[in-house]
Amino acid sequence: MRVIWANIEDVWREAAARWTLITYFILSTIFIAVFASAVNLDIVDGALAGAKLFGQDVVMNGNMPGIDRVVAIAELIFSLIIYAFSVLLAVFATAHLVPRMQEKGTVDLYLSRPVSRPLLLLSRYVAGMLLAASNVIYLILSIWVIVAWKTHIFNVRFRLAGVIMLFVIAVLLAFAFLIGTITSSTGVSIMSTYALCLLSLFLFVAHGRLDAVLSHEWLVAFVNGMYWVVPKAWELGGSVAAYVTGPLSHMKIPAPGLSAFVSTGIFGLVCLSLAIWRFQKKEF
Amino acid sequence: MIMTETLIEVRGLRKEYVSRVGRPRITALDGIDFTVRAGELFGLLGPNGAGKTTTVKIILGLTAATEGAAFIGGIPVSNPESRRRTGYLPEGHKIPNYLTARQAMAIFGRMSGMSSNDLKQRVSPLLERVGLAQWGDIRIKKFSKGMTQRLGLACALVHRPNVLLLDEPTDGVDPVGRREIRDLLREEAKNGTAVLLNSHLLSEMELTCDRAAVLRKGKVAAEGTIEELTRRTAKYQMIATPVDESLLTMFRETGAGVERVNGHLELSVNDLEHLNALVDGLRARGGMLKELSQLRSTLEDVFVDLVRTEGPTA
Repeated sequence: MRVIWANIEDVWREAAARWTLITYFILSTIFIAVFASAVNLDIVDGALAGAKLFGQDVVMNGNMPGIDRVVAIAELIFSLIIYAFSVLLAVFATAHLVPRMQEKGTVDLYLSRPVSRPLLLLSRYVAGMLLAASNVIYLILSIWVIVAWKTHIFNVRFRLAGVIMLFVIAVLLAFAFLIGTITSSTGVSIMSTYALCLLSLFLFVAHGRLDAVLSHEWLVAFVNGMYWVVPKAWELGGSVAAYVTGPLSHMKIPAPGLSAFVSTGIFGLVCLSLAIWRFQKKEF
Repeated sequence: MIMTETLIEVRGLRKEYVSRVGRPRITALDGIDFTVRAGELFGLLGPNGAGKTTTVKIILGLTAATEGAAFIGGIPVSNPESRRRTGYLPEGHKIPNYLTARQAMAIFGRMSGMSSNDLKQRVSPLLERVGLAQWGDIRIKKFSKGMTQRLGLACALVHRPNVLLLDEPTDGVDPVGRREIRDLLREEAKNGTAVLLNSHLLSEMELTCDRAAVLRKGKVAAEGTIEELTRRTAKYQMIATPVDESLLTMFRETGAGVERVNGHLELSVNDLEHLNALVDGLRARGGMLKELSQLRSTLEDVFVDLVRTEGPTA
């Protein structure tokens, strides 16, 4: 436990000293401020008299929607923005954790302690996740409090959408750790992780639709196979939206099935296991 | 503490590095053995590429041996527990410079299993001991090289190790600081710590170490106490008249090494009999012996001789 605490302290102190932590929270606070000013609700006697989102009146089919619906729409939009924003920031803020530890003259200091390599790497992973989680929790809770304060509507689902975001961040961080362990390069870790997200988008769009376009069957099979290997970052973004708007089923946001969660989770576990294996075998 | 207890043991260590496919393997270590006992200051000497750092890295589990075994306190180095009471100061270490000295010691102390209370009691006295008492709360990026080196030593000592592995511990440290570090290491050894030093500063090693091993091409070329090593090639200083070329030629013909240095002769002889034969030769030629004294060779002389010598290792 002391090893984990030591790594958490190390990671947080580094984040604080290198302005990562402050920048992280300043950007998040700006985002929260934008949200607070973007959502204007006029509530009279507990009923919604008027609603504006980014200065535009919220009108559906020529009528003013119910307050619960306005809240769901606002939370849906912002949860998707938070999802993209927090994943982007989390990778950027934590991808250096392994490459920097593996620098010559630094790694010796860590490895000369009575700590097994798997525990050392996992401690850094936990420390990185805590850093990313602090930001997600800050964003989600702040916006949830603002909404609850303005509307007196407490949408618990919005808070729990943060769990899906953390799940995706955990998987991407495992991938960044694997690349960092192999290449010892922060830049390559960040670029590869963002490239994986783009690949995820491509496979999301392409899989199941390529039969008519591609002449080679093996290529179709390859793309469809890759779809099940690569984490489903985009579908899980959709699941955030579906989860937040859950009670409003008439919005009909398609939610990915359990298989998307399972295959993404397996990808993360495999990446983390490979990172540990590589770190264990590496000679310094 | 039993002071004869072996704390570091290296048995038949062999390390080969494989580069690209098709290229020959590089042998960094070719079967080395040595031990370091409790309370002993042991020096590992050798030219660049002799295998000193590889040896230390194997002892710390940073790299794996191709053959052979190493133990710390009887525990195989593949077991992280062997490092429970081991302190290490790597050459050119980079303690994260966003930390203060206190924070660095706390983080590395915790990683060695120290509690917060233990750290509270340990950090301040140790900072004082390495001469950084006033710098405990300053970020490391403000430190000079010598100060960083002192802090590295403090981090290596924070968890009260009984085995210390130090790679160039006085690198960048001024002469006063070097003496302080030397005294600190002696004190640690006096308390039963086994200290393995790896340095190019041979005069420092001579002043600090009890025993040393000289590595050459991955093998132990010589090992013994500093006294034993520096006695190997005894030299004598001779002042005599007359000294001419024929006398020097006669000395050289016996196999002695002869050099003129500041008006006297420096003779390298095999043993006392050889020395007496030279004196007899001088007197037989009507020469007069004015002064004859033994010159102890320095560790540097021994090192240079051993490293230059080709052929089988000892």
